[in-house]
Amino acid sequence: MFDLTLFFISAVLTVIGAIMVITTKDLMHACIYLLASFLGMAGLYLTLGADFVAAIQLLVYVGGVVILMVFAVMLTGGPHAQKQNKFGMIKTALMGNIRTYTIGGLTAVVVLLMMVKLYISIFKNYTAGELPNYLPTVERIGKSLITDHVLAFEISSVLLLGALIGAAIIARPRKNRIN
Amino acid sequence: MMGLASYLIISTILFICGVIAILARKNIIAILLGLELILNASALNFVAYTRFLNNSIDGHIFSLFIIVIAAAEAAVALAIVLRFYQIRETVHIDDATQLQG
Repeated sequence: MFDLTLFFISAVLTVIGAIMVITTKDLMHACIYLLASFLGMAGLYLTLGADFVAAIQLLVYVGGVVILMVFAVMLTGGPHAQKQNKFGMIKTALMGNIRTYTIGGLTAVVVLLMMVKLYISIFKNYTAGELPNYLPTVERIGKSLITDHVLAFEISSVLLLGALIGAAIIARPRKNRIN
Repeated sequence: MMGLASYLIISTILFICGVIAILARKNIIAILLGLELILNASALNFVAYTRFLNNSIDGHIFSLFIIVIAAAEAAVALAIVLRFYQIRETVHIDDATQLQG
């Protein structure tokens, strides 16, 4: 019963958040809806018995990525924001026009049909057997990370270092402006 | 009710929302929001299959690496957006034309 309640609340939060991300007009509101969607996703991970992944989702996405997005939104405002570019569009325009939404909708229909074609056999043939009990996964993940997946683990540390230095170098303000 | 199908449907909805956000929005940051939605949908698929099909822990590991790569990608992409805004004073995707031939 508790699982079912958590699942429903998380699913509604995730889906409503994702839909509001593409329909809201304010970019800051879109970031906050993305935050709600990520929180719901952490709840879904918990209902799947993935406690460590849920914790990392909360730490990295909710605490890190969305805050980064919010800071980027705040830093790209300013007095130039409402001016128009050479196409006559507002420079921080958020919504596309009717053509881009038509293209997006058509692509969504194609992707949806593709997914249905892929999943239809799973939906028909899959029968839920006896599901395993919820076990703590932290120990198994830790052992797996330093035995089977140790190369990927080390490479990801190098990747994070590269991303850190690269972001710091790219975002550094420079004197001479290119226009 | 909480079968594999419901998780797959949720991740499909997330993926489609991400695709629409990437194609239809005109703001670079909004496009990055769509990218994060797509990465989350794939991570949810990995964890759902781990729970329902085999009980190996590798799906969780994949999901963790997806989260790590998404964080690195978001940091670099937002740095590029900020730099672009410093140079051109716009975040409209149609203004990013300097590399056109």
